[in-house]
Amino acid sequence: MLPPRFPGAVEPERERDVESLGTRVHVLEWGDPAAAPVVLCHGFWDHARGFATLAPLLAARYRVVAMDARGHGGSEWADVYAWPAHIHDVVMVVRSLGRPAHLVGHSMGGGHVIDTARALPAAVRKVVSIDGFGPPPLTAEEEARTPERVTDFLDQRRAAATRPDWRPYPRLDQLIERRRAQNPRLSIEWLRYFVFHAARESADGWRWKADPLLGHGCGPWRPEWLAQTFARLGAPLLAISGSEDDSWGLPETILGPRLARVQRLERATVSGAGHFVHMERPRETAQLILDYLEN
Amino acid sequence: MRLRHARIELELHELSRRQGPALLLLHALGGSSADWAEAAALWAGRVYALDFCGHGRSHWVRGGVYYPELLAGDADAALAHLGTAAVAGAGVGAYVALLLAGARRDLVHAALLLPGRGLAGGGGEPDFDRPLLAAFTPDRATPLPHGSDPALRGLECDPRPTVYATRFATAARRLLLLEDSGERPPWWMAVRDTPAARAVTGDLRSGIVELAAG
Repeated sequence: MLPPRFPGAVEPERERDVESLGTRVHVLEWGDPAAAPVVLCHGFWDHARGFATLAPLLAARYRVVAMDARGHGGSEWADVYAWPAHIHDVVMVVRSLGRPAHLVGHSMGGGHVIDTARALPAAVRKVVSIDGFGPPPLTAEEEARTPERVTDFLDQRRAAATRPDWRPYPRLDQLIERRRAQNPRLSIEWLRYFVFHAARESADGWRWKADPLLGHGCGPWRPEWLAQTFARLGAPLLAISGSEDDSWGLPETILGPRLARVQRLERATVSGAGHFVHMERPRETAQLILDYLEN
Repeated sequence: MRLRHARIELELHELSRRQGPALLLLHALGGSSADWAEAAALWAGRVYALDFCGHGRSHWVRGGVYYPELLAGDADAALAHLGTAAVAGAGVGAYVALLLAGARRDLVHAALLLPGRGLAGGGGEPDFDRPLLAAFTPDRATPLPHGSDPALRGLECDPRPTVYATRFATAARRLLLLEDSGERPPWWMAVRDTPAARAVTGDLRSGIVELAAG
């Protein structure tokens, strides 16, 4: 099957791997290798090709480096996933560039770039987070289910011992339909492009590239601690949100106080966009980022 | 015997085949099944000791990050094999025994928590910057015993809020905490104050006897 095309999506100019904690992390690059670098980090279950329309717009002025998070896209699967390993991966990608970089992250990737800037301040210039400000606080019922959440995790781990991979789908269209049900705002043409690169074909059908073990997670971390985390961010932060409520973003009553703790904050809203701001409105998103990085 | 926890291969050692209820032993950070000869001799039943991932004859994890819930997955793979069991753990193994006692209360009828290496310090407030930064400045001054994965050092300190530990203590059926004059981490002190928990003074023998008393 030929890779689908999408208007504005540009093939990466270079691809390479970076080693981090024994795991191979895949990166795509656009733009002049001698230009100042911008690292792009995608959201949970997504992959670096999700930046294929944004990256070329930034590449006119920057070396754009979009990385697949471990277990996603072209990056290697690990035995186990934990937040500090993701941060380590971003740090290793930045170190591979040999100079400080601007960081841009979407959703989970927004959390990655903020924590990378906190872990390695000298290597990071400016930070942009696209609707990556964490989940809402747990409800009292969810909080009370803390032990049961670990029970669910243990059940998942037992199941994974005998079923370590996704079940295959006979046709790629079925994966596209699954993603469409979750993201009704994204056009079918974009989803054909995006899901093609999120999937792999083998003799028995199509599977997601992303590791099913990524879905196993539990622990003591709580979203309300993010305000404290944000307060410790020294780098300047541009917080981009979409104007449309598509049930993925945070209500302003939660987002506002959380972001208020950031020391050097600018906020911007892209009208007509939901959670996947850069996929829905790549031109407007690119302009906001370029203006922020240049000034 | 070899067990599987997701993609991780583990070694479960059978230390005693005496007829009777099963006891699962969970070693401390940097420990191994070899730490349990005395405990095994004291238990009137089947005794099994697990090598956690990164330790002994179990695999190191690909990806290099260890956390207590992951180790609970190791211990749960042993429970899947044993069925109902009493669990005893030391140090980080004690914390894992606590997690299992709360999350697998149908299988763990009692847990004995013992002092040992791992999840020391910490406090009532979360501090997730510490493990984050530790990943970039590995502490080479305090090596782990031979054969253990150096990435396990992330488990030395406890950045977790004590309220998280007490949620599991509250869900557990029966918890015994072995106390001596040694210092205990804040999570331990918080767990000790929950209704299902009881402090036992004395040595390992006292703890195992209480655990067997049911």
